[in-house]
Amino acid sequence: MSNGDNTAGPLLAGRGLVKAHGRTEALRGAGVELNAGEILALTGPSGSGKSTLMHCLSGIVRPDAGTVTYAGRRLEELPEERLSELRRTEFGVVFQFGQLIPELTAADNVALPLMLAGADRATARSAAAEWLERFGARGQEDLRPGEMSGGQAQRTALARALVTGPRVVFADEPTGALDSLAGEQLMTALVHTARETGTAVLLITHDAQVAAYADREVRLRDGVLAPQGVAA
Amino acid sequence: MYAVHNGAMSTRHILLGLLASGPSHGYDLKRRHDERFPQARPLAYGQVYTTLQRLVRDGLAEVEGTGSDGGPERTMYRATDEGTRELTCWAGEIAPPAPFVTNEIFAKVVVSILADGDPAAYLRAQRAAHMDRMRELTAVKSAKGADLATVLSADFALNHLDADLRWMTTTADRLTTLTAEVDTA
Amino acid sequence: MTASLTSDLRLAWRLTRGSDRREGWRIALTATGAALATGFALAAGALASLRGDHVSVSLAEGLLSRPGTRAGVILALLLLLVPVLGFLGQCARIGAVHRDRRLAGLRLAGATPGQVRRIAALETGLACLLGSAVATAASVPVLLGTWERPAVLTWVVLALVAVSVPALGAATGALALRRVVASPLGWVRRVGPARSGRGPGRLFLVSLLLVAGLALLAANTTSAGPRGPMQLRTPMTVFAALLGVGAGAVWLSGAVCRLVGRTLAGRARSAATLIAAERLRDDPWAAARTHAAVLLVTVMGTGFVGVRQAFLDTLYEDRQLGESITYYTTGLDLTAAAIAVGLVITLSALAVGTAESLSTRRRGLAAQAAAGVQRAVLHRALILETALPLAPSLLVAGAGGAAVGAGYSAVTASGSLPWAALLVPLTVYAACLLSAATALPLLRRTLRPSELRHA
Repeated sequence: MSNGDNTAGPLLAGRGLVKAHGRTEALRGAGVELNAGEILALTGPSGSGKSTLMHCLSGIVRPDAGTVTYAGRRLEELPEERLSELRRTEFGVVFQFGQLIPELTAADNVALPLMLAGADRATARSAAAEWLERFGARGQEDLRPGEMSGGQAQRTALARALVTGPRVVFADEPTGALDSLAGEQLMTALVHTARETGTAVLLITHDAQVAAYADREVRLRDGVLAPQGVAA
Repeated sequence: MYAVHNGAMSTRHILLGLLASGPSHGYDLKRRHDERFPQARPLAYGQVYTTLQRLVRDGLAEVEGTGSDGGPERTMYRATDEGTRELTCWAGEIAPPAPFVTNEIFAKVVVSILADGDPAAYLRAQRAAHMDRMRELTAVKSAKGADLATVLSADFALNHLDADLRWMTTTADRLTTLTAEVDTA
Repeated sequence: MTASLTSDLRLAWRLTRGSDRREGWRIALTATGAALATGFALAAGALASLRGDHVSVSLAEGLLSRPGTRAGVILALLLLLVPVLGFLGQCARIGAVHRDRRLAGLRLAGATPGQVRRIAALETGLACLLGSAVATAASVPVLLGTWERPAVLTWVVLALVAVSVPALGAATGALALRRVVASPLGWVRRVGPARSGRGPGRLFLVSLLLVAGLALLAANTTSAGPRGPMQLRTPMTVFAALLGVGAGAVWLSGAVCRLVGRTLAGRARSAATLIAAERLRDDPWAAARTHAAVLLVTVMGTGFVGVRQAFLDTLYEDRQLGESITYYTTGLDLTAAAIAVGLVITLSALAVGTAESLSTRRRGLAAQAAAGVQRAVLHRALILETALPLAPSLLVAGAGGAAVGAGYSAVTASGSLPWAALLVPLTVYAACLLSAATALPLLRRTLRPSELRHA
């Protein structure tokens, strides 16, 4: 997949996004722009449509209406396999919990995306070990998710999201299941790595202290963008 | 700027605390204070000087002598035994939980409702300002090589700003109800 | 006591109604399994209640009229209970994680261990009662139609079976919960998939023993006449052998699962193999529970095909036996039918087990798909989980069965080698993969992003 950069506009943009789950309208015309290398916090009360917006932007779900443009490509025009490939190669995803395969060790979990891309196991595992070390999870290569603390599991998930060198990382309440100190360590690791690698991050959180790690904040309310205040 | 501590009361005790590690002169105390409490309001040299004089007057500190170190002449101070006792006593004393709410943000919201202003717009702008400050503090805290004192003081300020922010969010949600109450009162 | 039982019943009913549609599946499948178990047990019981030669039973070329062959039929019917028990075991696992949490929640809310155990027993027992009632109601007219004057003993046996199936189901339901009852906190707070971690399901072995004991008793009482040690020896030997093979099959498949998992996990090159192998290594007994029944059916199937060929060859060679050949072929056909039914039940258990394992991990699977793991990889991993450990165990089971066939052929000196028997393990293998593949549509549904919204 070519990196059709159009450096002029934002890297990822959603416009006029509408999405309903059954009879509840989660998104009612929301839009958001993410620039290359930018860390953007998406905040709002629970049920405001944050996760649904993230799912639309990352091509996990198709919106009922509206457009999503990534690096000049319209996601709604791509077939499911291409979207899956995009998520595998150019995006990284971190959820609150549960994205690790419980039967695989930390190293194998992190190595998995590389193996899916065709890397052989030994190469994938050594790259995985490097990433785990980068996130302060050294010596935990052989732990399985059930044996990890919440912080260890999320650091492993971050390593897994970043191991393929994505251009955008989507993090949906990555610290939601962590205590504040573990959350702080995770966010520091995420922000430093994103800055070093120039990865853009879309960070979903309801916690202002987590949102403060971002360069910018966008607030969502009832499926649309809330009016932004300007600090005088 | 957000002051982590306020009032001359605590400046006294902080200077006493800095003196606990050994005799020191006024300029050195100011420098060490600003280093230890990076997110606090920097101490004015005049304030250091007057506080030291009061400490001497109250018998909590005494003049050790004068030194010059090749530079201008400086008065060295050290804590007395009573000063050390006072410090230990103060450090163990609990701070009274804020008994009254005298917050500017709260006052502005109420006044804004009374004067038919736009409290929602005010809250949005205030929120943006708070977030800006929280981002600054977070950047300071998560910078590589930040020392523990910096992290702790940034954390302290961040948690207070976060509390303000949570109050503002809830208030924005309640504004409609609140406006009705103030209007009928 | 009665009052508390009624309130427990009401609570169990409300809990069942409040749960999701998986609970409906569990009840329907458990009832089906119970109906099958009741049906087989009823038939076996009714036959066992007969004494001596009964000309009045005019079924199956008179096979049922003679004590000797009747014992064989009873044996076959009771053996069919083994795959049925395996099937019921799988059904009990449907929604097990949720049920454990729910009942642990009851404990935390102040229910006594006894109360929770009663509710659990009722949840399973009522489903079994439903199945048993349907089966009993269906078999009474059949009995009256084929049998001129059923003895009182027959009716007593019928009633006993109809009552004991739900009673046993209830007891199993209560027994399976003993750890939840013991530590409610641990089970509510537990995250991640359920891990039994136990060896070859003790319950399975106990039920097997029970069936064997019953069969022995039945065979013993039916063979009227002088009860010498000679008469006892044959059924005894058969049961000892079958018990050995059964326990061996469970152990073998568990060991094979673990070995295959451990070996492949270290060497896996592709993501699908890695996932499948690590799952096997992590919980080899989960796969072994269903695979054991598959092995049992394969041994019997392969052995039967061999024996049948040799037997028919001998039969056609010396026709002076003075019996009609149909008498024997009917017996053989009935046996074949019994083995086929056993295979179908086993395959259903395999499909139910695969579906259940998917539904337990649905959030994790949806997260994999969201992260861009190809569906094809997840599909392959699912099939490999069945295919990898089954291949070596089926090879051994097929070889064992073929050896039995060849051995019989050597003894009867018919000289014919049962090559056709070798097709049995292949067919079983293909059927197992197909039945695991029936879960693929469910997997496709599981990978929907809406599953990400469930905790």
